Amino acid sequence: MEAALARWGRGESSAFVEIVREHQAMVFSMAYYFLHDRSVAEEIAQDVFLRLYRNLAGIKSPAHLMLWLRKVTSRRCIDEVRRNPARPQVSLEEAPEPFDPSPPSDPLLSRRLRRLVTSLPENARMVIILRFQEELELAEIAEILEIPINTVKSRLQRSLAMLREKLDTVLESAGDEAD
Amino acid sequence: MKPIEEELRAALRKQEPPEGFAARVLARVNTRPTPQTAWWAPLRAFVRSPRWRWVAAAVAACLLLVAAVVYHRREQRMEAQGEMAKAQVMKALRIASVKLNIARRKVQEIDRSGPQS
Repeated sequence: MEAALARWGRGESSAFVEIVREHQAMVFSMAYYFLHDRSVAEEIAQDVFLRLYRNLAGIKSPAHLMLWLRKVTSRRCIDEVRRNPARPQVSLEEAPEPFDPSPPSDPLLSRRLRRLVTSLPENARMVIILRFQEELELAEIAEILEIPINTVKSRLQRSLAMLREKLDTVLESAGDEAD
Repeated sequence: MKPIEEELRAALRKQEPPEGFAARVLARVNTRPTPQTAWWAPLRAFVRSPRWRWVAAAVAACLLLVAAVVYHRREQRMEAQGEMAKAQVMKALRIASVKLNIARRKVQEIDRSGPQS
């Protein structure tokens, strides 16, 4: 990535495509898991890379690039939810229980978890995505979201407790129906 | 079942965007003109930033306070000018009254001495 940035610095515009290809999965997935809507996630990812194109001259290193992309994507996702509160959000209470009476297989459980993540409050949701999609440390998440590390910690604990509780309910009800 | 942390890692595995994503980004880069930054854009961004919103509120409060002080002083100045004008009018009336009394006395004196001559 350092080479791509250097090439961009020398005026090679093809380096930008390389940068997009390298980071598109990260940016798109953050937006997708946050909004649970592929088309809006793509639109946001495109916006982030357009903004990157205009600001690439100020990017100093690959680490700076990662931080910049995560920061801008997080902000853009949270702004999107705040700007369009009418966009259907899944609340923990409203999240439908599984209709399949058999115990959930892994793909089902994953799908279920993704829906439950989308039902979290937006700040907690982004903490979960940065922690488990991006595998970031609490300090890194605090830097990206510009919040104290203790806030990150408490949001993470609270979100995990909520997810655990809801998932237990889901699995119990699936088990009962199977019996 | 695995711990929820592991399940989350599995559930939130990175996904590639739809085919042709990079090409669509490039197309937008090539078609969209770079917007000219308006001179007030940094100010607007500053005011919109939640972190600095309180600064904007404090500045607005200070401006209001300054405006109130200026208004109050202007009112006081106008009141003083009004008082001064009133005093001048009263003084003029007093002078006019004295002069009229003098004139009336003169007329009366002339009236009294007139038939004798």
